Amino acid sequence: MPEPTEEQRKQWEEKIKNMSPEELQELQKQQCIFCQIITGKITSKKVYEDSSCLAILDINPAAKGHILLLPKEHFAIMPQVPEKVLGHLSIVAKNVSQVILKILRADGTTIFIANGAAAGQRAQHFMIHLIPRRSGDGLMPAEEGLVGAEMAVKVKAAVEKKLLALLGGKKEVQKLTVQKAEPGFETKIPAKQQEPEVFITSAAAKRYHKEKCPFAQNIPLENKVTLSKEEAEQSARKPCTCVSGKKIPLVKAAKAAKTEKDQTKKGKKSPAQDPASASEKKRGGEASLDDIANLFK
Amino acid sequence: MECEYCDILAGKSKAQLLYEDDTVIVAVKDVVYTHGQITVFPRQHFTIMEQVPDEIITKCMIAADKTSRAVFEVFQAEGTNIVIQNGLGAGQKVPHFAVEVVPRREGDGLNLQWQPKEVSQDDLDISAHQLSEEIAKLGDFTAPKKKEAASEVKEKNIEEIKESKSKDDKDNYLVKSLKRIP
Repeated sequence: MPEPTEEQRKQWEEKIKNMSPEELQELQKQQCIFCQIITGKITSKKVYEDSSCLAILDINPAAKGHILLLPKEHFAIMPQVPEKVLGHLSIVAKNVSQVILKILRADGTTIFIANGAAAGQRAQHFMIHLIPRRSGDGLMPAEEGLVGAEMAVKVKAAVEKKLLALLGGKKEVQKLTVQKAEPGFETKIPAKQQEPEVFITSAAAKRYHKEKCPFAQNIPLENKVTLSKEEAEQSARKPCTCVSGKKIPLVKAAKAAKTEKDQTKKGKKSPAQDPASASEKKRGGEASLDDIANLFK
Repeated sequence: MECEYCDILAGKSKAQLLYEDDTVIVAVKDVVYTHGQITVFPRQHFTIMEQVPDEIITKCMIAADKTSRAVFEVFQAEGTNIVIQNGLGAGQKVPHFAVEVVPRREGDGLNLQWQPKEVSQDDLDISAHQLSEEIAKLGDFTAPKKKEAASEVKEKNIEEIKESKSKDDKDNYLVKSLKRIP
């Protein structure tokens, strides 16, 4: 395209100035590649689509399976996106990320949003990047570093007022008062246990239970006997698993486990018939979410 | 359990708490990419994003958006990055799901970018097929809301039908009474 002359430029600028916001938005839409992808004028590799958003594969990806999640309506940056749309996008992002972890057997995903050219935004359409990650892949090389506690204090002083105004002011949280009095979760738990423990048993039963134990709840009211901790320990009754914490294989539990196994066996048989899942098995199965979460421990 | 973000809540950390409600916490850590970075995370402990319930994730994102707006105004940032590092492979350091809001400026030297790769159309096709098939298997994961909406619509319809019926009845009654008048 030839460089526009100054006259042309002035004309355009005036045109844009005189436009109504709706017309401006229309112009932006016409200029936006992603709006054309959404309307289907430009073809793309769609991965997911619903009434308000579209997920496509990036044609110049950071890694194999790099997905762009776009709202169908045109927004340039995140602050313009309504809360409802943003909430919907985040739920879709979560589910798509889950599939990335499972199918591409990634070690993690990076969910990335860039607002403004300074942040690395390249297209004038708000989008969420979902990037499959592997340890040591060298993407996004910036590292977090220690900057000192004074900085945090300064940042707090600068932002707090504005942030609270946006978030609707300070909220009273019950948990906070408890935590201030006794910092730490560990101290909170014994505080609860200090309440006198009460055990429940039936008049003729050989075991005693905690109040919340399902066995205790099965005891009919007229047979219910409540015992203090000492009474329970001194009586001839034995503690239930809910008290002792030991796992005694129960007939019911064993049965339940068996039926579950059977079900999973049945479930595994049917998809094995189609070739797609068979190829998955060849690749050595899928990474489960729990595995990824447990890596931290 | 050792978790830096749970420690922030417990008041054991050097980090500064900016905002908290029943579900969402906004805080400034002392280990950051750049000055002015703010972290949004759920009160409840979740390790990775996939474990976080829809409601909480929605609230976190909305809080992150508002934080980003505040950062734009207060620091006169030229841009912001919203980053979720999900899993060890993505560089997640603290085993607690969090959304980082990073203020950006032209030439701040922060490299949060990647080297775009060239991929063949075939490769794209294959991944698109695999991913879309698996996502389709999830079914309609936004369904609960839609179901509610649908039932509301049904109820409305029923009410409308009832109303229209009662109107018809009235009309009929009037017509009948008219007919009765000799």
